Amino acid sequence: MQNRNTETENSASLALYLFRNKAKKGLVKFFTMVLILGLCFTILYPILRLVPIVFSSVEELGNPNVIWLPLESSTVSFRAAVRFIMPEGIMTMVKSVFYAAGIMIIQVFFSAMTGYALARVEFPGRKLVFGMVILVFLLPRQSLLLAQYIYFNHFDVLGIMNLFTEAGEVNLINNPLVLVLLAVFGFGVSQSLFIFLFSQFFKNIPKELEEAALIDGCGFYRTYFKIMIPNAVPIISTVGILSFVWNYGDTYYTNYFNPGGTYMSTILSSTFSSANKEYIMNAVQTWFEIPLVPDMAFDAVKQAAVLIFLIPLLVVYLIGQRRLVENMENSGLVG
Amino acid sequence: MKGTAKKLSYRTKRKINGLIFAAPFLMGFVAFFLMPLVNTVYYSFNKVGVGDRGGMTFQWVGLQNYVDLFTAEVTTTSQTMARLFTEQNLHMLLSVPLIVVFSLFMALLANQKFRGRAIVRLLFFLPIILGIDVVVEMLAMTTGVESLDAESSLLSGSYVTLFMVRVLNVPRRILYPIMTYVENIFELISQAGVQTLVYLTALQSISPSLYEVAKMEGATAYETFWKVTIPSIIHITLFVVIYTVVDLFLRSPIAEEAYAFAFTQSKIGVGSALSVVYIFNVILVLGIVMLLLGKVVKKNAK
Repeated sequence: MQNRNTETENSASLALYLFRNKAKKGLVKFFTMVLILGLCFTILYPILRLVPIVFSSVEELGNPNVIWLPLESSTVSFRAAVRFIMPEGIMTMVKSVFYAAGIMIIQVFFSAMTGYALARVEFPGRKLVFGMVILVFLLPRQSLLLAQYIYFNHFDVLGIMNLFTEAGEVNLINNPLVLVLLAVFGFGVSQSLFIFLFSQFFKNIPKELEEAALIDGCGFYRTYFKIMIPNAVPIISTVGILSFVWNYGDTYYTNYFNPGGTYMSTILSSTFSSANKEYIMNAVQTWFEIPLVPDMAFDAVKQAAVLIFLIPLLVVYLIGQRRLVENMENSGLVG
Repeated sequence: MKGTAKKLSYRTKRKINGLIFAAPFLMGFVAFFLMPLVNTVYYSFNKVGVGDRGGMTFQWVGLQNYVDLFTAEVTTTSQTMARLFTEQNLHMLLSVPLIVVFSLFMALLANQKFRGRAIVRLLFFLPIILGIDVVVEMLAMTTGVESLDAESSLLSGSYVTLFMVRVLNVPRRILYPIMTYVENIFELISQAGVQTLVYLTALQSISPSLYEVAKMEGATAYETFWKVTIPSIIHITLFVVIYTVVDLFLRSPIAEEAYAFAFTQSKIGVGSALSVVYIFNVILVLGIVMLLLGKVVKKNAK
């Protein structure tokens, strides 16, 4: 009798223990989900908040009754935004995308080369060069802006320009060539970081690969292009995505070195500076014949413009992000 | 002699090819980094003017530019330079730990196993795009923000804040800066995209067998986190911290100030002096960070 009693007691306490454990786990899971959902909402909030503004008709803007959905939807803000940031129509966006893609290819090509040399070849002064890459990464690019600007303004390499021009120098400011030159010679957007990532990646590629290639009679260049590059797809795509995103969104190099160029990023930041508010509102008023344009119309048009600007980035991101984490894992940075 | 010149050994050839591969960067380093750096330092000791024939003229003034920078000159928003630098560094002091801890937190969440993880990850790395300077700048509202803030701000007037101040007696001086950060959580998130990515990959590269062992030994989740997870990612933390510091310095307003000095006020000397002080500031901060974190990393590596 007593025996049976303890048995039931035991099974009861076991059930209680299991229930507690399950409840605890469930609670933890519940809170994690709440946290994750909250964070997702916070990340999306700046975009979600735009919905009632950019899709609303201009007259309705600032209506305090509107919280999430506009009363009357209209595309006026988008049409106005397109006229502002795409002076050449869709070609403006195409050009910007091509610019970013072109610089991306140059950056990937030259960063990979430097990274490979730093990781795999024992050339004299390698450690020094590696130190240089780190130094360039650490010092903010703005600190040298003045001198670089003046340097490009009076561009001359060892007096070579004497042969081509009378003044013995050329003014490269406002010449898109500057941006290409910077990318070729390793000083484009965040390029020292890219070189660093490449060298970390190549460091972790097994030595046997190269040795096998050597025995099979591959020279230095053939080994690099036929063996190393195909093996480096993860890091190439990671760097490629980052480079594209940062070049497309770059306003620093484009603004200072090529202010006359038509890049969507610079057009965006210069058109919608707060000093231009009156101008934008007047333009919207005359274009769409709206009698009274509320102050908020400026924000509506501006944010519609950002959404248009983001389209190519979102496309690239949606295609590339799935591989981003796997790629970084293979990048050798965290090994 | 002739033979050796014609037929280089494999090793020498390889070295030469390596140098060729590194050559573009080396040339760029000299042309776009070293020369501008030397010039910046040189300009900062000179009064730079425009000559008659369009060239530049230099007049040695010693440390005058530096003295002017901190005594006479003001920023475009009429603040003193000392204040600009203090604010910048205080901002770093608060932001760097917040961003690093926050990105680790996001990575830990994204590393959990649950349904819909793919979508969550898609959103978690969105800040890589939404954090671009021009996007952050353009997404900000310019109208109606002040009035909205005063009335129904998320937190400053909320019950949470009131409770903390009245009941728990948390000093306002400490509470308010923290609350400002909580309110600007999007700004925090927008600067943590790359860091979250790096942390997530570091977390995924921890061998699962380590966790199995910890479970076998009866370690709690808390112990596992401090004894397994943290030591495994401590070395990557140094990279994340340095990346964050560099990224924050990149976003600082000092560049525009230097540009404004040089090209709207034509004081190239003063602008260069500002750049040099800025460089020293960066080196100082990074030095301190490496000194402090380097010790922690070494301790954990053993």
